[in-house]
Amino acid sequence: MIHYVLVRKYASQASVLWASCALALFAFAWVRVWVTSLLDLGQFSTILEQFRDFERFAPVPFDVLFTQTGRVGMTFDEPLVILCVIVWAISRGSDVVSGELGRGTLEMILAQAISRTTLLLSNAFVSIAGLIGLVLVLWAGIAAGIATTTVTETVPPPSIRIPFTAIEFPLTNDAPEKVSFPMSDEVQWESFASGVFSLFAFGFFVLALATLLSSLDRYRWRTIGVVLAIYILQFVIYGLGKAAERLDWLQAFSFFNLYRPQKQISMVTANGPWAPWRWTGGDYESWFGPMVYPLILIVGGIAFYAAAVVIFRRRDLPAPL
Amino acid sequence: MDDTLLLTKPAAIESATRPAKPVAVQAIGLSKRYGDFDALADLDLSIPAGEVFGLLGPNGAGKTTFIRTMLGFIFPTAGSVVLMGLDPVIDPVGVRKLVSYLPGDVRLPREMRGTSVLKFFSDMQKDGDLNRSLEVADRLELDLRRFVGFMSTGMRQKLAIAAVMGSRAPILILDEPTANLDPTVRGNVLAMVEEARDEGRTVIFSSHVLSEIEDVCDSVAFLRRGRLALRQTLASLKQRHRIVARLDAEKSVDVPRELASMVQSVTRDGDRVTIDTASDLAPLLSWLRSLQLQQMRVEAFGLRAVYDSVHRGVKDTSGDVDATKSNMNGSGATK
Repeated sequence: MIHYVLVRKYASQASVLWASCALALFAFAWVRVWVTSLLDLGQFSTILEQFRDFERFAPVPFDVLFTQTGRVGMTFDEPLVILCVIVWAISRGSDVVSGELGRGTLEMILAQAISRTTLLLSNAFVSIAGLIGLVLVLWAGIAAGIATTTVTETVPPPSIRIPFTAIEFPLTNDAPEKVSFPMSDEVQWESFASGVFSLFAFGFFVLALATLLSSLDRYRWRTIGVVLAIYILQFVIYGLGKAAERLDWLQAFSFFNLYRPQKQISMVTANGPWAPWRWTGGDYESWFGPMVYPLILIVGGIAFYAAAVVIFRRRDLPAPL
Repeated sequence: MDDTLLLTKPAAIESATRPAKPVAVQAIGLSKRYGDFDALADLDLSIPAGEVFGLLGPNGAGKTTFIRTMLGFIFPTAGSVVLMGLDPVIDPVGVRKLVSYLPGDVRLPREMRGTSVLKFFSDMQKDGDLNRSLEVADRLELDLRRFVGFMSTGMRQKLAIAAVMGSRAPILILDEPTANLDPTVRGNVLAMVEEARDEGRTVIFSSHVLSEIEDVCDSVAFLRRGRLALRQTLASLKQRHRIVARLDAEKSVDVPRELASMVQSVTRDGDRVTIDTASDLAPLLSWLRSLQLQQMRVEAFGLRAVYDSVHRGVKDTSGDVDATKSNMNGSGATK
């Protein structure tokens, strides 16, 4: 179903973009973890408490962010991370048909003894493998950050609470003690596996959407424009659903609602490493388990790919302009 | 010009009948419609195996649509076309295994070097042969170290020709292969086309350069508005002549019954008479002498004349190509 020569060509074509995105993701993830260590957890909590009214805008309750794991998990919602994944997904997905048609190169390629399905799936193979590579590189960046970062925390002086009152008396006048320890003592890189999987599912969905629209179109610029329009519209719908309680129902119409890496990571902290990999509820917020959401994205992506194959096989290919 | 059709007779111009040779391509009632525009309209055409077959016609006649339908790039609205028994709608991969195709407007991956392009296509093709492609490139004096993006239009054309000629596929489809090439390279390309025929391959050659078609093709089809307007073998065309002369207006031009099949048409414009032969000139010489023609000029009846006739016929009959065929094939005489 895939052709190794085409795979080689697509891989070569995409290599510079992939390397750029991978470098950005690795470096950003590493630095992001290190920056996390610069913020004293106690002070961070105090600051965040001031914004409790805006907690509903956050993907997870603030309490999750008061842990080192929770703060590192925020990496998956960072705009730069999303941007790199989206750039890869849209650029590769939009190229497969409308890109080749626009450049006029599809004709010579399809004149060879390959089917249209083979062409599309060869491109998909490279794009999906590249996406997997990118999320793994991000994970590697997080792991590298965890392994090399030392956390310094302030330990409050010993105190005694007066019975029946809320008053605490310090037992010493010494300055609060600062304790340093490797971040890996508190944060395990394995905890982010479900977040990595969610990010992949999100990227796969957008990649498949771009591929579907590319299979319908003959101009890549238009394909990119339409994908971005859908993306932004979905983001606005999600934002509105988050902003007002009476518009909460809108979230169900946005695929952003299916991207929940921080929630999954917080479950690791609370319920152990396998907690996010459940298909059914447990103590999750609905009957569906946490893994159902990325699964919906993946099933949606597969459906888009199937539709793209059917459309591409049936359509007339216009001559190069 | 006041053309008066004096006589038309059946000529050595073939209708779209099936040739005796094995058929490489057979189109039956092939139609492709875009909205209310017929790119191909009920096209019946067979192309014999082992020939160089020319496709001629003005822009928009349907040549490229026919080629793209053969390759399975576009799907017919009605009818079918089969290549060596395979229908591109049903088995497009099977068809493309049989075909090596040079598009009219060649675009190659700009990020690749010439050598990489040839390697890519030789790896992709079932019968690809990198060494053969490299030989063609060498013959065309092409610098393969350059990136495609830095090549001139002519160089890209040469590169595509090298990629296509590297294949040993039994059918070679060349859409305007010599566009953008200098005369020397054109000659090389035409020589390669002849070599392909000598190897027993079928070559479908679309071009607007009539002299090239005359040089390399065994037969040619004229398309007009998506229909087959005319089909002609070049061997018989080369037998045909046009005699232009002056003749007293009072004298008539009566073709003897036994020579009728050898005369395509006789037209008069005042004292000017034009006689188009349908075949060999020799048997007509004694009759021509008896006419006492003056200022007689004999011209080879080239493709140009046929091409113009097809156009003129279409114009005269408001696009009725069948009428053109009637005019060219001839039936009945009038005065």
